[in-house]
Amino acid sequence: MGVLRAEPVRVREWTARSVGAAWRAFDWQMTIFAVLLVGIGLAMAFSNSVAAGTPILGLKSTFVRGLIWVAVGSVVYIAAVAFDYRWLKTFAWPLYFVNLALLVASMLIGDGQGGSARWVSILGFQFQFSELAKILMIVVLANYLASRQHALDSLSTILGAGALVLPAVALVMLQPDLGTSLVLGAILAGMLFMSGASLRWLTILSGLILGAIPFIWANVLHDYQKQRLLSFLNPSADPQGAGYQLFQSQIAVGSGGLFGKGLTNGTQNQLDFLPVQTTDFVFALVAEELGFLGAVLVFSLFIALIWRILLAAWRSRDPFGSGVAAGLASMLVFQLIVNVGMVIGVMPITGIPLPFITHGGASLVSIALGLGILQSINIRQARAEW
Amino acid sequence: MVAPLVVDQRPVRERQLVRFLLFGMVALLGVSGLLTRLIYLQLMTSQTYQAQAEQNRTVKQAIPSSRGLIYDRTGRLLVANEPSYSVKIRPVDLPFSQRDEVVARLSALLSIDPADINTMIDSNPGSRFDPVRIATDVPVATANFIAEEHLALPGVEIVVEPKRHYLFGALLAQVLGYTGAIDADTLKQVQGQGYLPDDLIGRAGVESTYESTLRGVYGLETVERDATGRRLQVLSTDRAAQAGDSLQLTIDTKEQLLAQKAVVWAMQKAGLKRGVMIVMNPQTGEILAMVSLPTYDDNKFAQGISRKDFQALVANQDHPLLNHGINEQFPPGSTYKVVTAVGALTDRKLGPDELVQTRAYLQLGPDKFWDWNRAGFGLLDIKGGFARSSDTFFYQVAARLGIDRLGYWARQFGFGAPTGIDLPGEAAGIVPDERWKQDTFGQAIFPGETYQAGIGQGYDTATALQVLNAYAALANGGRLYRPQVVREILDPEGNVVRAFQPQLIRRIAAPAANFEIMRLAAREVVTSGHTYNLRDLPIVVAGKTGTAEFGVRDSQGRLPFHNWFVAFVPKHGDVSKPDSELAVVGFNYDANTVGNSATEMVKYYLQLHFNLKVDLRLDFLMERGNFYGGN
Repeated sequence: MGVLRAEPVRVREWTARSVGAAWRAFDWQMTIFAVLLVGIGLAMAFSNSVAAGTPILGLKSTFVRGLIWVAVGSVVYIAAVAFDYRWLKTFAWPLYFVNLALLVASMLIGDGQGGSARWVSILGFQFQFSELAKILMIVVLANYLASRQHALDSLSTILGAGALVLPAVALVMLQPDLGTSLVLGAILAGMLFMSGASLRWLTILSGLILGAIPFIWANVLHDYQKQRLLSFLNPSADPQGAGYQLFQSQIAVGSGGLFGKGLTNGTQNQLDFLPVQTTDFVFALVAEELGFLGAVLVFSLFIALIWRILLAAWRSRDPFGSGVAAGLASMLVFQLIVNVGMVIGVMPITGIPLPFITHGGASLVSIALGLGILQSINIRQARAEW
Repeated sequence: MVAPLVVDQRPVRERQLVRFLLFGMVALLGVSGLLTRLIYLQLMTSQTYQAQAEQNRTVKQAIPSSRGLIYDRTGRLLVANEPSYSVKIRPVDLPFSQRDEVVARLSALLSIDPADINTMIDSNPGSRFDPVRIATDVPVATANFIAEEHLALPGVEIVVEPKRHYLFGALLAQVLGYTGAIDADTLKQVQGQGYLPDDLIGRAGVESTYESTLRGVYGLETVERDATGRRLQVLSTDRAAQAGDSLQLTIDTKEQLLAQKAVVWAMQKAGLKRGVMIVMNPQTGEILAMVSLPTYDDNKFAQGISRKDFQALVANQDHPLLNHGINEQFPPGSTYKVVTAVGALTDRKLGPDELVQTRAYLQLGPDKFWDWNRAGFGLLDIKGGFARSSDTFFYQVAARLGIDRLGYWARQFGFGAPTGIDLPGEAAGIVPDERWKQDTFGQAIFPGETYQAGIGQGYDTATALQVLNAYAALANGGRLYRPQVVREILDPEGNVVRAFQPQLIRRIAAPAANFEIMRLAAREVVTSGHTYNLRDLPIVVAGKTGTAEFGVRDSQGRLPFHNWFVAFVPKHGDVSKPDSELAVVGFNYDANTVGNSATEMVKYYLQLHFNLKVDLRLDFLMERGNFYGGN
């Protein structure tokens, strides 16, 4: 019912506020941190283009493709900021089904390596719908939790949220894409936790899920997934096989030292010793070429960005707004820790991209969309007191 | 209602503040964990990883050196290097799923059995990153075709390499040998010397014995490579390659041709399967010609011999890959009597003019030891005994010497040990004595065995080269030289690195007079008519025939006969002088001919060598027949 109630005031409020006031509420810091992270991603794409040996300004180069996606992402970001987020509440359910439809579509027409179906090609660009699904899922969940403000202590709120996420997780698992399904789980957990849902039930349910892990291990995971998950524990057991990626990425990271080897000078990357250096293992490239200082810069930018997102969550009078912020923060933190942890050999290989820096249009555009929605929420909070 | 937790009692907004802060702390904690690990990797142990990255990136690679050339003694080029195209496969670049397809295509293009290609890939001595040699010396058109088809043939490479070209092919194959792909066992032994898994190595002849001389020294460079092992650029040259030195052989191609012509004629005439002729300068030990038939074409090996051709060579019962003159040993027969004679004269068991009664046979217990003519020759002195090759004469002389002194004199003449010629796989031969008999059979020598040993039968075996070398010592007055086929070693600019030097094994411990007696005796072999018309040659030749039974009995229980003839030509026609510069041995395996085919063969060679206008070849002696045994 809250959806219908918000609708009549929208036009009045929008027209009543001056454009200047709206821009004052725009979080420039958040935007700058994100842009800097994107810049590091582009630098890595440039380095990779050099390594690949294809013309750097050619249409096939990682760098040019990265630039194109940054342009697309910028447009999406600005559009999302301009777009009144409250419409999202109206269209939450349709969005949810669009989300599921996209995942089904990528199952049906998608391509991928080793029989998986993750990417859909659009005009020669590969697009991973599951990235978009994460953002849409955040929006849907935020809307759901906002409508359950009165019943945050009840188990049914938590189960309801879980029921919303479950079909998406199942579809992603079928692709099969273990990483994205874990991210969806992390988003759900983070949003429930930060929405103020019953900590007792959350604790009990977490315990149940942990208890179910052996069952999932035995019945749901593919052998190659298990092998990848375990290889980080002992990469030297098979340095040419499953442990090869980890072995080489740790050499890349370690050999970077304090200052790094300099952009395009990383031998591990340039000579192809680093596997999938444009995507999942891009952090190894950051660490090799930009060194410990580069890695600290990336971490700092992420911390600052997440701080701004949490701030936005707190500022938002609208529980929908704080839900979206909580979801984005959960997603970014989880992906950062799991991706970097994988590259430096303390987390299993799960195929989760590093936001902003991993080369991939879907990831970038989706985050742009997410942050744009958040900004839209920011500037539409009446007279914020911060 | 279940009892609510403390936090849950707060208003939602307050509750959220706590949760946001908690979340932020968890995030910070996670990032600090990552940071800790990064500090460990990038700051504390960075050097280890830097070393590993460097090790990943660079590799030391050999720079092949150009192999030395080979000339004959007159400076004629015998072995050259030619550019050729080789086909190699890098197994790491050949996806397993495409392997069958690629192998099938290569098989069709190169006419190699697919199973052979698979065997080559699988028995690759190097790692999966090292190229495997599939074919050497492929035609240019095929090489171009494969190079153009590289997309359809992943992992297949065309490499330009120098290839050995043996200008005279089979004529000199036994001496020159050939180079071929290195095998896994050899590679293990020589890897420390810079050999590569796809390297070529000398595998027979002087290509093998002078491998290190010819090969030169491979250079070394530090190369940057990518993850698949493909070389990208040379970072530094650690050591430049040094071209190999060249060889000048003692062999005279012209003499080799003449010797081969004589052997081929004899083998055709008498229907022989194996023939040997070696020509030497007795004054120096230089080998002027060395023929062993049947032989093979070493260019086939240089081109990468097919498995079928190789199997055919190996399966041939006459062993074309063996140099029968040095790799195999046979009873020397009567040629050995020179040992018995010089030994007995020097040990004073026989006077120079002492007459010995020869008979039809000697009785030893129940056994009769026959002379070869089954009649005896009456009273003979040493020259007569040698000229007529009387077995009963030499049975008695051998008995006077005793087996151990006979063995001593045989070893003085170079029997029972490799001569040390600079060719691989030389056989040692057998010189029986008491100790040998005890070691081999655990028995004492029987008196009859001493008889046999005195005439080059029984346990005695020798190579053709040993027989020749013994007579070379006789011809030069008692100096036993190490035979050599390489005269000089030349550096790439043609300067002499190692000049020729005759290598004396020993002076045989017998007075010059005894050698002179035996040279006169060897001349009497020819003049007494024992060798038919050899005396009719307008040059003075001395020599000794030999016949030995050896090998597998035929259907009538007869052993194959092997014919020997060893000769030397005194420089000025006077055999009393130790000045001969030409000694020849001929050996015919399984030669049941009317006459001694080896004598005819050597006679024909001398005729060709001295370019005589007469033709003294006697065809009737070469017919298969019931040749007398034992002389």
